Amino acid sequence: MKAKGKVWSMFMLLLITVVMTAGCGNKASNEGQGGNTAGGTETSTPTTKNDKDIVIAINSNFITLDPHNASDTHSISAARTMYEGLMGFDENMNVVPVLAASHSISKDGLVYTFTLQENVKFQDGTDFNAEAVKVNIARIQDEKNNLRLRKSFAKVAKVETPDAKTVVITLSEPYNAFLNKVAMAPIISPKAITDNGADISKSPVGTGPFKFKEWVQGDRLVVEKNPDYWQKDLPKVDSITFRPVPENGSRIAMLKTGEADFIYPMPTEQVSEVEGLEGITVDTIDSTIVRYVTLNTMKKPFDDVKVRQAINYAINKDAYIKVVKSGLGAKLDSTMSSKTQYYSQQTGYDYDIEKAKQLLAEAGYPDGFETEIWGENESETMKGMQFIQQQLALVGIKVEVKSMEGGTLSDQINSAKTPEEAKIQMWYVSWSPSSGDADGATRGLFSSEMFPPAGSNTAYYKNENVDNWIAEANKAVDPEAAKSIYANIQKTVWEDAPWAFMGVDQIISGKRSYLEGVKVFPDGSINVLNAEVK
Amino acid sequence: MGRYALQRLLGVIPLLFIVSVLVFLFIHLIPGDPARLIAGKDATLEEIHGIQEQLGLNLPLWKQYINYMGDLLTGNLGNSIRSGIPVTDMLESRIMPTLWLTFLSMAWALVIGLLIGVISAVYRNRWPDHLGTLTAISGMSMPGFWLGLVLIQIFSVELGWFPTGGVDSWKSYILPSITLGMGIMSMLARYSRSSMLETLREDYIRTGRAKGLREYVVISRHALRNSLIQVVTVAGLQFGFLLGGSVMVETVFSIPGLGRLLVDSILFRDYTVIQALLLLFSTQFILINLIVDLLYGVLNPKIRFSQ
Repeated sequence: MKAKGKVWSMFMLLLITVVMTAGCGNKASNEGQGGNTAGGTETSTPTTKNDKDIVIAINSNFITLDPHNASDTHSISAARTMYEGLMGFDENMNVVPVLAASHSISKDGLVYTFTLQENVKFQDGTDFNAEAVKVNIARIQDEKNNLRLRKSFAKVAKVETPDAKTVVITLSEPYNAFLNKVAMAPIISPKAITDNGADISKSPVGTGPFKFKEWVQGDRLVVEKNPDYWQKDLPKVDSITFRPVPENGSRIAMLKTGEADFIYPMPTEQVSEVEGLEGITVDTIDSTIVRYVTLNTMKKPFDDVKVRQAINYAINKDAYIKVVKSGLGAKLDSTMSSKTQYYSQQTGYDYDIEKAKQLLAEAGYPDGFETEIWGENESETMKGMQFIQQQLALVGIKVEVKSMEGGTLSDQINSAKTPEEAKIQMWYVSWSPSSGDADGATRGLFSSEMFPPAGSNTAYYKNENVDNWIAEANKAVDPEAAKSIYANIQKTVWEDAPWAFMGVDQIISGKRSYLEGVKVFPDGSINVLNAEVK
Repeated sequence: MGRYALQRLLGVIPLLFIVSVLVFLFIHLIPGDPARLIAGKDATLEEIHGIQEQLGLNLPLWKQYINYMGDLLTGNLGNSIRSGIPVTDMLESRIMPTLWLTFLSMAWALVIGLLIGVISAVYRNRWPDHLGTLTAISGMSMPGFWLGLVLIQIFSVELGWFPTGGVDSWKSYILPSITLGMGIMSMLARYSRSSMLETLREDYIRTGRAKGLREYVVISRHALRNSLIQVVTVAGLQFGFLLGGSVMVETVFSIPGLGRLLVDSILFRDYTVIQALLLLFSTQFILINLIVDLLYGVLNPKIRFSQ
């Protein structure tokens, strides 16, 4: 038995040795195996790159590649690598011409005339022309297709093509945000629409700098250089692989090993972990995403403007940015972010606990009151709600934090058919206008036609002036006039305080230092047109 | 035996039918309107109603159920509510990574777990036993999420031996399968140890030894085989749970498998995909249990079932 026992011991020892060496091996033994393959077996911190194939890791999957039906930011980013619209956005969310060489708007704001770029071809070799634009708008407007962009084009009465290079769009009524909407509408090759039909969402053909190569759902989307791209000397990289990597820690690990050249979003609490590392750069910009707490203005005690203002005075916004956002964010100083069209800065509501107490006393709540705050159950949101709870406790307001899963929360809010039925008191949430336009940042949130379930006016805010201004601003033809109307709206809402105005998110991305030109825009979409490996 | 297997297999059909009804009802009980979640925060009511109509979500529940069963019986799992992609396409592209991951995890967990268990039992209360126990207990108490991230830090970031995620080559499966298999390995080690100890006390083992059989033969031919029955039960059950457990591992290692698909689908109330996945998981659970039952007969002919 003893001899056999030895065999067992030897085996056990061998096993342990294997495990130990696997854990403690040194890098030297691995040298020479290198090779920067997609598998990424290279050792950490590469500081240069030989090929021009870049990998971008993002936090969730793409939903669809149908550019007229995409509503999530990542799908929109993906679409923009392969597609272009008549108009587009620059990095400050200004609307700029892309496939339109120029455009003009009639004085009454009804007729938009676009002159198209010459010599542009779709990736399938067909010509980009006025007819293609017309086909695309018809596709968007077709009720049967039920596309997400349809409501943006609801006011389009007719589309005419006097010649191959001119498109004339006539609206049924003036629509101030129309150019922004046009910028959200990429043009698909009409041949692909006919040939691929419903499969457009899996096989995109546009005029963009990159061509579709493959989409393995949940794993990767690969686009490759369009050699016939109409803009000179672009693109400068051969291919881009997008990889959905939901776990924050894994995304950061990929950046460290060089498996990913660019990651977005970079989790705020982990920025300090990579900052200062050789070969890694962290970029931050202000976004169009605003964070706020809606206060149900039809429910006691929030029906009193003094209570709502008191809440705004009672929360230390600087501390909020520091504690909840790890210092990466800005105070919200209007109803919209500074990166949104027609933003107008407001002042006031500086942290002042005495003033808050005084306002509460004036409103008849000298000892505060009890209430509840709703929010999603994701960790940063919970932290935000707990922060608000702690701040309001200092002025006597006892807040109960109720976190819920997204779908359940949405049900809670939208199951109330009338304001009287609504149970919502406070809701900690964020909002971003999808096309960076002022209407998108205003109407759904402050128009009294937009009480849930019709819209997202969860503060049940009603102000006749604001309602009228929203309608007026939409019809304003002159940008200056629109700007002053939106300034009025922002000032009035700010004073009425249907929200506790919290912060503006910063968009944080991480990249290898050799990579240039990849930008995250304020709406959270990733732009790769100028990507370059240096 | 063959007839028994067939009978059991046929018995699966009514079971699956009941599962499909329950799955359908439970999914529709979760709060949250898919149309609203798909349409997004800034959608109009008109848009939301359009989506409801398009997806048949405005029909009464019983009608939706009849449509769903009708489709199911013709092998049509429908299209994803969220992306419009056929559910079969989605399952097809996601199933292999999950299968590889679970089989690999199970394979190494079985081998190492059994080995540790047997060695611990043979060397009861001596250092190999203590070491085995320590390994098993630490393996059991390590949260998979944490273990995954630690493995990535050591073997991907520091050493650069394996990729941090994805499924590009066999190397991509090493770290995830270690993470996923660790808990089962530990459990199997504990079970096989106690089962082995029990067997070693049996009379026939003493008889064998008294007859002068070599210790190796006693352990591998007699004791191990008989203690395997308990282990197979545990392993079978655990294997069923593995697919569920893969959700976390697939997230940490960004593996495009079924687990992640399920989480994504639940977040968006993608009914068609959730239904298909739950049916798939139930089916495999039932089948694994069937296999375990059949294995009993193979391991110990005394347990064969009378017809």
